[in-house]
Amino acid sequence: MTALHDRTEAASTPSLQDWRSPLARLRALLDDDSLALLVPADDSGVLAVRGRIGGVAVIAFASDATVQGGAMGSAGCEHIVTAYEAALTAGVPILGLWHSGGARLREGVVSLHAVGRVFFAMTQASGKVPQISVVLGPAAGGAAYGPALTDLVILGPAGRVFVTGPDVVRSVTGEDVDALRLGGPEPHGRRSGVVHVVAASDEEALSSARDLAVLLARQGHFGDRPIDQRPLSDLLPDNPKRAYDVHPLVDGLLDEPGVELHARWAPNIVTTLGRLSGRTVGIVANNPLRLGGCLDSTSAEKAARFVRMCDAFGVPLVVVVDVPGYLPGVGQEWDGVVRRGAKLLHAFAECRVPRVTLVTRKAYGGAYIAMNSRSLGATRVFAWPSAEVAVMGAVAAVRILHRRKLLDVPDAQRPALESELAAEHDALTGGLQRAMDIAVVDEVVAPTHTRGAVASALATAPADRGAHGNIPL
Amino acid sequence: MSDEVVAEMVANVWKVVVAMGDRVDDGDTLVILESMKMEIPVVTESAGTVAELRVAEGDVVQEGDVIAVIE
Repeated sequence: MTALHDRTEAASTPSLQDWRSPLARLRALLDDDSLALLVPADDSGVLAVRGRIGGVAVIAFASDATVQGGAMGSAGCEHIVTAYEAALTAGVPILGLWHSGGARLREGVVSLHAVGRVFFAMTQASGKVPQISVVLGPAAGGAAYGPALTDLVILGPAGRVFVTGPDVVRSVTGEDVDALRLGGPEPHGRRSGVVHVVAASDEEALSSARDLAVLLARQGHFGDRPIDQRPLSDLLPDNPKRAYDVHPLVDGLLDEPGVELHARWAPNIVTTLGRLSGRTVGIVANNPLRLGGCLDSTSAEKAARFVRMCDAFGVPLVVVVDVPGYLPGVGQEWDGVVRRGAKLLHAFAECRVPRVTLVTRKAYGGAYIAMNSRSLGATRVFAWPSAEVAVMGAVAAVRILHRRKLLDVPDAQRPALESELAAEHDALTGGLQRAMDIAVVDEVVAPTHTRGAVASALATAPADRGAHGNIPL
Repeated sequence: MSDEVVAEMVANVWKVVVAMGDRVDDGDTLVILESMKMEIPVVTESAGTVAELRVAEGDVVQEGDVIAVIE
């Protein structure tokens, strides 16, 4: 972990210099006039404060990019540890604003030890109080792993996160890459999964942090807002085979569109925090538009981390299922889809918050189990009237079960025979009715009444939360 | 500025919706693939003109294959 030399040429511009100061950034994050210093301002490279966000008490700290590029020495790291102790004592969210080249070179192993103590404090607090990081400038080495250990990472347009900067990469491996391509919004938003929210401006980054802090810290109660019923089935295509974008349905379930996390990474599953009937909920939804909505190793990991975060902070879950299965292929198997997919099974099976499943169109095979099935302990399982729950689709099943029979008829007659056999197969294996008979689906709900049914199922379940940390899976 | 639209998974090209030279907007469907027994529209994330169309109906695409180039 080496220090990154800050070479912002415009540092002499008064306004920008002002914006690089931790006090300016913390003021912009917190409610007007709510900021109070937690430690005296000094040249340690870190400022720690208490304040409010939307009226909610929080602890916050910021790198001081005006001192050695925000590099972290023992005094600055102690301020962060102090901030963590204060957040844990008060039981309030802690937010970090990062702009730091990493450990202070001049302090040598002393700074490494101090940075390690920050990591220890973060891990001790994991799952107890929400931790939100906003990366506004470079965050290298130790300053990269700081945010990475927290629950939510927001990246501003000038944010660059990497273990080793472009210079080191070039001298060690010969790869020629700039900071933007190495650790900017594109790679972390799309490829690495390091960043949950990519913001178009610093203001937007701080505003996302505020929204998320309030969603987690002031979760509200079901009934805080009246439920209006909405024609949600209009958001699905008429043709059951046609893929569609699930975002309008996710937004439609919530009172108003929420904050989507990891929007462009593993887009075949959508994870969004928002409010239903006024209470904070987490939505996990397959997105058929991407990879047909299949689960794969990355999306299972993304969803598993989200489920565990919600569980740790007592946020009830709504799981919207339209999944054709796990993605088949050599790439997936070698990528560890068995190991990484198992994380989602584990996350749901250990989850103690109320969690309701809604099968909108289909739930097939192993992916059916993974998407908060009754067997994994779902609080309640709803299905829309035309939903299918099966090992695989009826037509696909009869193509295997009745392969000979189908081969024996002329091509022209095959589709008719297929659908006849599929209907027979459905009647035999039971389809949705069979799922209800054995109580793995509790209730068929009309799309229009779904919001009320989901909210009431979550509201009447005992409120609980998991007692575990939120390891960055 | 040109953007390559690539296949995310192995699939059959079921329908080609646009033609070379067509104007497209963010979110427009370029082709419809068939995979996992579903019809999956491939949409562009950038606006522009279809400069290249590298698939035809009935083709099989592999993950990472370029379907079209939008300029």
